[in-house]
Amino acid sequence: MLSRLAARSAAVAAQHHHGARLCVAAPVRLFHCSEQHGRPIEPIPEEGGKVRMGVFPEEWFQFFYKKTGVTGPYVFGTGLLATLLSKEYLIINNEFIAGGIFVSFVVYIIRKFGPNVATYADKLRQERIDYIDNKKGRFIGACEEGIETEKKEQWRAEGVDYLFDAKKANVAMQLETAYRERLHEVSNAVKRRLDYQLDVENTQRRMAQEHMADWVVSNVVKSITPQQEKEAIAKCIEDLKRMAKAS
Amino acid sequence: MAGRRAAVKAIDWIAFAERVPPNQKAQFTALKAKSDAIYSKYLSTPEKPAAINFAFYKSRLANPALVDEFEQKFNAVKVPEPADTYTAGLEEAQKKAQADVQKFIAESNARIKGYEEQAAIYNNMPPTELMTYDDVFAAFPEMKPDKEKYPIWPHKPIS
Repeated sequence: MLSRLAARSAAVAAQHHHGARLCVAAPVRLFHCSEQHGRPIEPIPEEGGKVRMGVFPEEWFQFFYKKTGVTGPYVFGTGLLATLLSKEYLIINNEFIAGGIFVSFVVYIIRKFGPNVATYADKLRQERIDYIDNKKGRFIGACEEGIETEKKEQWRAEGVDYLFDAKKANVAMQLETAYRERLHEVSNAVKRRLDYQLDVENTQRRMAQEHMADWVVSNVVKSITPQQEKEAIAKCIEDLKRMAKAS
Repeated sequence: MAGRRAAVKAIDWIAFAERVPPNQKAQFTALKAKSDAIYSKYLSTPEKPAAINFAFYKSRLANPALVDEFEQKFNAVKVPEPADTYTAGLEEAQKKAQADVQKFIAESNARIKGYEEQAAIYNNMPPTELMTYDDVFAAFPEMKPDKEKYPIWPHKPIS
């Protein structure tokens, strides 16, 4: 972060002091910047490289293997230590012991509290990443939902022809129904008039018949004389007597 | 008179119902009820009335000439078809509605494009793990620490 800041401010400074650059060999690209490329910067490795005996990188051993074989690095280390001690480049005195104690204390602190600090730092980083991912996800989701809704609305809007088809069909059906009703009306009117004629004639005929029957009966009744009545009664009595005798 | 008119076009009400927006459901239901009533009335009205048996009346009535006259005039009657004054208006309204729909679709497509552009800003970002702080602050300004309010040492710009 700070290095980037420094690099950027250096760039700004370089633009300002065009003539007098501070660097003797002014680099084309700024110090600490990678080569320019469009792809994202490669992630920094999470874990350190492989080491032997806690401090010596594996690469050093690999470097020796090609020249000296597998014991080379150890011989070199021992020889180096012996040289340092023998030529008194490394002096064992009270300061050396104090330095040893200081180093071991630092190692102890790192071993003891390092993992907790690392976990806490990871948590902070993960929170930020989650925040960003959440926001990105929600925004993209909202956009996709919006697109989906718009497409659905378009599809629905295209269904407007259904509405007009239905309306036209309704109009056609109503017209047809009205036309048929007119036909029915004409037919019914004619039929009703004919039925009326028929009824009139039937009624007249029935009344004429009734009248004739009444007239006949009344004339017959009128034509019966007292003489005939008396004869009829005498005949009835005679009949009754004959029937009594027969039984 | 039979087959005089083409059969009334059948409406696919199920497909229609699917396309009705939820806020117009009530109107759709009303239209459907109305149309159903019209359709059932249309179905219940037979195409031709029952034929009148003129021979029967002729044999019964005392005056067959009267029946003949009725028959002649009945056969001569030309029933006028009701004038269709609505379809033209509907056609016009349909054309207008289709134009509106085309306009809406164009607007909608523009909106979709806007959505896609907005989404592309986020879709084209590098994976979050690989973003630098500068990238993050450029994309999410609210994550940038407020140096005005909470200044850090040395509390003045580094010159």
